[in-house]
Amino acid sequence: MKKLLALVLSVALALGVAPFAFAEGETFELALVTDIGTIDDKSFNQGAWEGLVQYAEENNLSHKYYQPLEKSTDAYLDQIELAVNAGAKVIVTPGFLFEEPIYIAQDMYPDVHFILLDGEPHNADYSEYRTNENVAAILYAEDQSGFLAGYAVVKGGYTNLGFMGGMAVPAVIRFGYGFLQGAEYAAKEMGIEEITVNYHYTGSFDATPEAQTLASGWYNDGVEVIFGCGGSVGNSVMAAAEAMENKWVVGVDKDQSVESETVITSATKGLAASVYQTLQQFYAGEFPGAQTTVKDASNEGVALPMETTKIEGFTQEDYDALYALLANGEITLLKDTDATSAAELPLEIVKVTVIE
Amino acid sequence: MKAIRRFFRSAGPVNAASSLIAILVGLVFGGLILLISNPGQALQGLGIIVAGGFGGGMKGVGQTLYYATPLIMTGLSVGFAFKTGLFNIGASGQLITGGLAAIYVGVNWTWLPDPLHWVVALLAAMVVGGLWGAIPGILKAKLNVNEVIACIMCNYIGMYGVNYLIKNSPSIYDQLRNQTVSVDPAAAIPKWGLDQVFYNLKGNYHDVSSVNGGILLAILLAVLMYVLLNKTVFGYELKACGYNRHASKYAGINESRCILLSMAIAGALSGIGGGLMYLAPATGLHIEVVDVLSAVGFNGIPVALLGLSNPIGIIFSGLFISHITQGGNYLQRLNYMPEIIDIIIGVIIYFSAFSLLVRNVMAAILRRHEASREKAVLKKGGA
Amino acid sequence: MDASDYVIEMLNITKDFPGIRANDDITLRLRRGEIHALLGENGAGKSTLMSILFGLYQPEQGVIKKDGREVKIHNPNDANALGIGMVHQHFKLVHNFTVLENIVLGVETTRHGFLKMEGARRRVTELSQEYGLMVDPDARISDITVGMQQRVEILKMLYRENEILIFDEPTAVLTPQEIDELMRIMRGLAAQGKSILFITHKLNEIKAVADRCTVLRKGRCIGTVDVSATDKEEMSEMMVGRRVAFEVPKAPANAGSAALIVQNLSVRSKTHAKPLVNNVSFTVHKGEIVCIAGIDGNGQSELVYALTGLIRPDAGRIFLGDSEITHASIRKRNDYGLSHIPEDRHKHGLVLDYTLAENLILKSYYKPGFQRHGFLRFDQMYRYADALIEKFDIRAGQGAHTVARSMSGGNQQKAIVAREISERPEVLVAVQPTRGLDVGAIEYIHSQLVAARDEGKAVLLVSLELDEVMNVSDRILVLYEGEIVADVNARDITAQELGLYMAGSRRSEVI
Repeated sequence: MKKLLALVLSVALALGVAPFAFAEGETFELALVTDIGTIDDKSFNQGAWEGLVQYAEENNLSHKYYQPLEKSTDAYLDQIELAVNAGAKVIVTPGFLFEEPIYIAQDMYPDVHFILLDGEPHNADYSEYRTNENVAAILYAEDQSGFLAGYAVVKGGYTNLGFMGGMAVPAVIRFGYGFLQGAEYAAKEMGIEEITVNYHYTGSFDATPEAQTLASGWYNDGVEVIFGCGGSVGNSVMAAAEAMENKWVVGVDKDQSVESETVITSATKGLAASVYQTLQQFYAGEFPGAQTTVKDASNEGVALPMETTKIEGFTQEDYDALYALLANGEITLLKDTDATSAAELPLEIVKVTVIE
Repeated sequence: MKAIRRFFRSAGPVNAASSLIAILVGLVFGGLILLISNPGQALQGLGIIVAGGFGGGMKGVGQTLYYATPLIMTGLSVGFAFKTGLFNIGASGQLITGGLAAIYVGVNWTWLPDPLHWVVALLAAMVVGGLWGAIPGILKAKLNVNEVIACIMCNYIGMYGVNYLIKNSPSIYDQLRNQTVSVDPAAAIPKWGLDQVFYNLKGNYHDVSSVNGGILLAILLAVLMYVLLNKTVFGYELKACGYNRHASKYAGINESRCILLSMAIAGALSGIGGGLMYLAPATGLHIEVVDVLSAVGFNGIPVALLGLSNPIGIIFSGLFISHITQGGNYLQRLNYMPEIIDIIIGVIIYFSAFSLLVRNVMAAILRRHEASREKAVLKKGGA
Repeated sequence: MDASDYVIEMLNITKDFPGIRANDDITLRLRRGEIHALLGENGAGKSTLMSILFGLYQPEQGVIKKDGREVKIHNPNDANALGIGMVHQHFKLVHNFTVLENIVLGVETTRHGFLKMEGARRRVTELSQEYGLMVDPDARISDITVGMQQRVEILKMLYRENEILIFDEPTAVLTPQEIDELMRIMRGLAAQGKSILFITHKLNEIKAVADRCTVLRKGRCIGTVDVSATDKEEMSEMMVGRRVAFEVPKAPANAGSAALIVQNLSVRSKTHAKPLVNNVSFTVHKGEIVCIAGIDGNGQSELVYALTGLIRPDAGRIFLGDSEITHASIRKRNDYGLSHIPEDRHKHGLVLDYTLAENLILKSYYKPGFQRHGFLRFDQMYRYADALIEKFDIRAGQGAHTVARSMSGGNQQKAIVAREISERPEVLVAVQPTRGLDVGAIEYIHSQLVAARDEGKAVLLVSLELDEVMNVSDRILVLYEGEIVADVNARDITAQELGLYMAGSRRSEVI
């Protein structure tokens, strides 16, 4: 009988705590909803989060990130709702996967402001693009970032290169094309006769044994530097490089030199900077709503982290000169829409081997 | 008093009570982690977890039902196989192959009349999942290959095979996002009025839950499985094979057929789970081309364990695990890291799977209790 | 007699288990140098009492005295320290160890962490000679006979210098000749001053070897008697509580037409060149009980499996009446009228997690009486079960709803017998149908077999128990190494002769 009583009591206790669920929680003014990756993905989520945290701490604002239950529009919307309920004024959503959710959320929460990185709001079948007053869409000129990296490694004397992208999404393709064109540009400048590039999309943003094996294979075949471009794919490449002598990696999105000794430079986007800037604009009453901002060299949206770059023969002066050319539009690049395959880019010195 | 004791001695209540106790133990441990990671909000946090989907109003309840749908199906799949003495750890592969079949039909067979489209897509999921489950069944029945090994292999073959097929089927591959394209609206599972019940009102905006008719189908299938196992000749044979292969053979039951059919049915249930998951309307859920096994398939195992493999119990355990997961999601309202929340929810689910252990302990306690009572009676009689 | 003449005294022992009093105020006193039999049916409390003496259970009441001094035995180590050793019914030997290694296991002498086996070997050899055990210390357990394994267990006790030796049903696994040897060894041990507790329910053996006998029934001590001053009938009455018929009452067989015909049946072994069943032919007629006798492992199981369809024979033919069933499925054989009381009731006979009612329809659930449109007819099932429970006196706590696992062995066996006989078979194959059962249940099952015979069924009985073979059968076939070495009328042969056939030292000229 006592046991029965204990059972009833404990059930009652469990139900007893339930009402606390509906008590008011604290509020968080700045929010970020992660996409499929985690907050420390060394990439999009983390970069955006760092910018948000920097601004929040400088201005003493409450902030928090939310992780969705699954990768679906509804699940993203659930997290946006959580953030709104917790009092969010600005919600940062990193990644083009948020294009649909933001398209819906901008109408649902007209009083909340959204910063959509790397995408523009549209509906499910792409028939309508619309960016409301409360949404700032931000795109990056990945081709320029890739260009800087490609130029730098060839300047450093490397002629046997590799590009390992994640999914073949436009941003990754732009990185790749830019990387090839940068290599071509440097080779012409230096009078190098031939540069070979292995070119491959792994099809996912995950670190997989397959990607690592492939990278090891390339390195064994003489490839000196691989541009690991896309989520955690770079980690597979770094793991392969660490197992060998004198094999190098180009990081992506943000400065990845802390990840591995083998990272000689990183083709970054100014994720943190752009989130920081946009938040600044928001609190100054100048929120760039209803428009898409492209962050490129002209507004310091792309960069190589020169203080951690380890390429002999590639100096700060080289970098600054090249950067200026990009910023003032003297160098124009072919983008993802200009060629259906890397092999079709009009390159003379760079020989691209596309591996399916 | 006597009536209460008799009630507790019969199997059903003991089973239900043991599942409840397992859940409570899980909540206690979950509470401890809450307390360690953020003492100030631990009580409120535990409240949010316990409240689960209810913390999100009617929409939250709907979300609980939505996430429970595939869980119930894979739970049924694992539980059904358990009842027949097989460990179907291949729900993941069966789910993804079934899901792919549903998507393929849902995207391409637009010539089907609209009301039939989703039905045919779901049937395709059932058939393909069933065939995928039958492979370990055949290996076990004919060559005595351990089904666990065969199932694990089939999980990987299924996952890589599905990825390969998607990448090489332009009609269903969204190259940009590296996932399948959305199915034809007619192939989506109907809402059957559930969207009229499970929504929150945001001003004039109906914030509708993702729940759809799938949950009703899942419950219906659970009831069907219960009847099949407990009321039919076929179920009698299957369970006999599960409890004692040798005796079944001795009694003239074709045990190879039993094993094969049992795995095929288990596979079909997981396949339907995949169908219901990927045919869910307007959620934007697609099969991603990533080299990761579907977690929903593996979560069927704790669902089946918590439900003690009873199809009716599995309805509740599937709902519970979804409820807790939803509660964990809402826990993000507080100052808890999503990673900590994952741990807490994992711990609760983990302990929930101990219900079988709890049941045995409870049975032992009841027996001892009775013995001491009888002894007391004996002593009284002696005096 | 002086109190110190008793080496062990268990006084007024009471032990309760949930729902049952296993030992109720039992007193057992063991004299130095005597062989003391402990007699009782299954469930009478023998094992519980011995487990208490061995320290596995603690009694609720009562005291244990060693040499007149009260002692507490908390665990088997305490028992061992007091010189109490036990030969369990199922030997506790490591099969891929040698005899010597098994004997010293747990009491190894070591130096610097290395085994010192020379001393142990010398001691084992001495003991073996002293008691006439004739055990080779270097043989592997897996290579020696069951009788030899038992001697290893005895040696283990002697090596540990135990003086009180408990034998738990030691003859159950032995051939008649081996039993005689064991009796000789036991007498030798007693003569050397060892005291022996001999647990059994076989009256012949008690008569042959024991000095005194304590009888238990339903947890109570019925009394202790001098074996020389009593007879089997009196002891069995004490054990069962009523007079027991040792002879199975039956009229002479009235054999009719052939019901089961086996022609040149062979079953090959997967591991050995010699077939397990070698070119066996025989016929069982309606209205007779034919017994297949033999020592365990001479092909009986494989012969039965081939007859009942559990394995495929490699050669030969089998007929049920006029129909050939050599390659028929098990279900076909059942439908043709073959019933089978299997050797292993837990492995083959029952689905232990099914209820009694579900087990009773294990072979007929698919027939129209028990199903309609694929659904089981539970009302019919329970009605049928209740009828069988009534008719065959199956005792189960919750009647037809009892889970088979929770039933006693005897009632499980009754359930199988009830099911198989109620199938109204033409041929009934019964394999060791009374194994592990007590006298009352054995008597009942024997009478059912005879009743089936008298109804004109053909009964093929496979038994390892000589008494059963002699008492129940009309005709006896002896199987030795897969071959039939004797085909004799049960009236024309003595147990001793049968023993010679079973041991393979004699072959019948009739074959």
